[in-house]
Amino acid sequence: MQTTLAALAVITVGYILAYLVFDRLRDRFGYVGGAEYVVIGFLLGPRVTGLLGAEQVQDLTPIVSLALGWLGMQLGTYFRLPAMTTIDAAHLRIAFTEAVGTFASALGALLALFHYVAGYPWPESTVQAVTLAAVATLSSTAAIDAVSRKTGQVTSIFPVLQLTARIDALVAVTAFGLLLAVFHLGQVSLEVRPPTATEWAVINLAVGVSSGVLFHLFLGPRGRLDEAAENSRLFVALAGAIVVASGASYYLNLSPIYTNLVLGFILANSGSAHRDVTRLLLRTERPVYLALLIFAGAAWSPSSPDLLFIAPVFVLIRLGARFLGGWLGGGLAAPPELKTPKLGRALLAQGGIAVALAVNYTQVRPDLNADLILTATLVSVLLFDIVASREVGDVVSRVSPSGGSVNQDAPAAEPQPR
Amino acid sequence: MIRRLVVLMLLVGGAVLLEPLRAPTEGVIAPRSLFLFGILLLTADTFGAIAHDLRLPRLIGYLVAGLALGPSVAGIVPAGVLQDLGMMKRLAVGLIGLLAGAELRISDLRERHRVILLVLAFQTVAVLAVLLGAALLLRTWLPFLDGLSDARLFFVALLFAVILTVNSPMITLALLTETRASGPLARTTLGVVLVADVIIILLFTGAFSLAQASLGGATAGAPEILLRLLREVLGSIVAGATIGGVLTLYLRFVKRELVVFAVVVVFATAAAAQALHFEFLLSLLVAGFLVENVAPVRAEPLVAILHQAALPVFVIFFAMAGAELHIQEFAAVWPLVVVIALVRIGAVFASTTYAARLAGAEPAVARYGWTGLVSQAGVALGLATIVADRLPGVGLAMQALTIGVIAFNESVGPILFRQGLERAGEVRAP
Repeated sequence: MQTTLAALAVITVGYILAYLVFDRLRDRFGYVGGAEYVVIGFLLGPRVTGLLGAEQVQDLTPIVSLALGWLGMQLGTYFRLPAMTTIDAAHLRIAFTEAVGTFASALGALLALFHYVAGYPWPESTVQAVTLAAVATLSSTAAIDAVSRKTGQVTSIFPVLQLTARIDALVAVTAFGLLLAVFHLGQVSLEVRPPTATEWAVINLAVGVSSGVLFHLFLGPRGRLDEAAENSRLFVALAGAIVVASGASYYLNLSPIYTNLVLGFILANSGSAHRDVTRLLLRTERPVYLALLIFAGAAWSPSSPDLLFIAPVFVLIRLGARFLGGWLGGGLAAPPELKTPKLGRALLAQGGIAVALAVNYTQVRPDLNADLILTATLVSVLLFDIVASREVGDVVSRVSPSGGSVNQDAPAAEPQPR
Repeated sequence: MIRRLVVLMLLVGGAVLLEPLRAPTEGVIAPRSLFLFGILLLTADTFGAIAHDLRLPRLIGYLVAGLALGPSVAGIVPAGVLQDLGMMKRLAVGLIGLLAGAELRISDLRERHRVILLVLAFQTVAVLAVLLGAALLLRTWLPFLDGLSDARLFFVALLFAVILTVNSPMITLALLTETRASGPLARTTLGVVLVADVIIILLFTGAFSLAQASLGGATAGAPEILLRLLREVLGSIVAGATIGGVLTLYLRFVKRELVVFAVVVVFATAAAAQALHFEFLLSLLVAGFLVENVAPVRAEPLVAILHQAALPVFVIFFAMAGAELHIQEFAAVWPLVVVIALVRIGAVFASTTYAARLAGAEPAVARYGWTGLVSQAGVALGLATIVADRLPGVGLAMQALTIGVIAFNESVGPILFRQGLERAGEVRAP
């Protein structure tokens, strides 16, 4: 009894301290993350109080898979073709150049790190390097939106930053999805020939496409109920759809985030329900992200000490890759009126999908340094979320047509799901 | 609706196609469980809509969907999957408990205390007495009473009657949420059902200890039984007050991410209840009640969030409850199931109607009050399982019949209550 009470006390005190610390960061730096939830998860988990034992953490898999799929689907709904066609070609060029540049430079550095420094053979190095390169490429719009709300400025750089963050996420999730298909782990039944890497990639895409088509049919037109009841029913249908699609991917050892990205893309581009779907996903993103942080905290355990150096090195590699990608996209590929060589500084926040990728990796590749990948990702997400808003503010103030700087001392806006 | 059913069939077909590509990575939660859980959710939602179109409560659709996909009928969702997803059901029960407590207003209790107490007392005593009498009368046909005599016979029959006296806070709350009913009938039923939950834990613990002692198991004396009762109930109330205090502090000082916080509170309470041996549902009921009625903070944001989460939570709970119904087990005893269920309904009807008239309740409560007290679900099933686990001989023999009666009440009760609410004119969302 005393152990349980002590555990509850540790969790309560730990949460309050974490909340106070990060609340100050929220006020001072416009911190947009939810690190206190990682702390709760860690305190609840088997490593500290054990209130949630290892088995119970595993029992949370349905919630976690729902969260992974939810974030993937939300990303997919952003790419609505009628809206995409109205985007300026220069913006797309900047976004894709920045995303590919960041991914390629991070991948190169990480491959070298895993192969030459850590001594892994090429296949293992590739799996870990692509995963962390995808995590490095991810950027979230949370800090951008917070600064946009706080300053109230309307500058040409905000749409570019928002688009670039989405393209970053698209490139990262697609790369990670392809990685799990190409380096597929697991045996198939004896009656069938094991699919090739290309076939696994096609199967992964096919699961997403068929789920998208089926759920487009399942959702159908908007019902006759009032808005609250309709939203609740839509939530159940979407949760069911995401769990089915995530379950199918999880079953095949593929990426549920990628599958749900395809599912979200199809739902956003078909039928009349896309607005309701998008609104619902946006409204629920923050709780989903925080639930994922709690799980990541509970599932986290320190990786082997000889590899721990990779976490801080990864943070540096991400910083370098971000700056290089930003310089390529915002400096070389941008037209003169949008020249922003320090674009990468405004894209430091990582957000939910980065944690989702790492958690997904721990589920699919528990055999290959899963703890290391999760540790590096959490360290990176927590650090970059602290400085992200300040960096966005700085970049925006430099390119602002009014030339006015952002008031850093003003109270931070409440972080919104993005 | 046909389109949705076709999609569901295609999904099940897709699952069969994917089968040979299965990766043999079985975790604690088998990969298949997740996929099937999604199909269960979607099927429940679809069947709920069909039930609604047939002017039946949606939860009947959820139950039927669970039953249809579960091990008893199609076997698409096997027992192992339900075991894998036990945590989800626990989360659902916890959130419903918190919401149920918050729905119980102290002003309603004050205003309606006479009718609530009289209905509660008459209903509990009458149902208990009538079922005890029925069990003793029918003892030659009841396998679990076979060969028992004197004190043993009486205490085991009493235990059986206590389990069948339990009401269902889950079903009551699910129907009130679905219909958005408000009025004397809704408020009285909620008050009776929630207070009865506390009484039943006391009664069950007492009856169980007596039956266990008479059967030669743990021979607990009266003071020991009383101590256990007090520990369980008071422990739950103290735990509820503590959780209520934590929620109050959170609502006062943090106020953000309420859904996430509520989920964390439920998980932490579940873990603490297991370790400290207090009643999980009761403690959350108390916590919700205290936050709504006693705490010096506005509980509306939390209640609103819990209301928003209610539908998915009900879908999960009732679909899984339906899948867990083992209809084969009571196929052999169905005549007894029907007799006992009808006797119970008769006792509920007579006692509730009389008590409501005696208390001078509104005509709607006097006429339809009984309809809300027929349903049984999770709590009763939980008690039946405890008896089966801890008294293996008698308990297992009793389980088939009790589960049969509970399943009957779980199916008929919501329909009766919805009818009652409609006739009382309290339904706001048809």
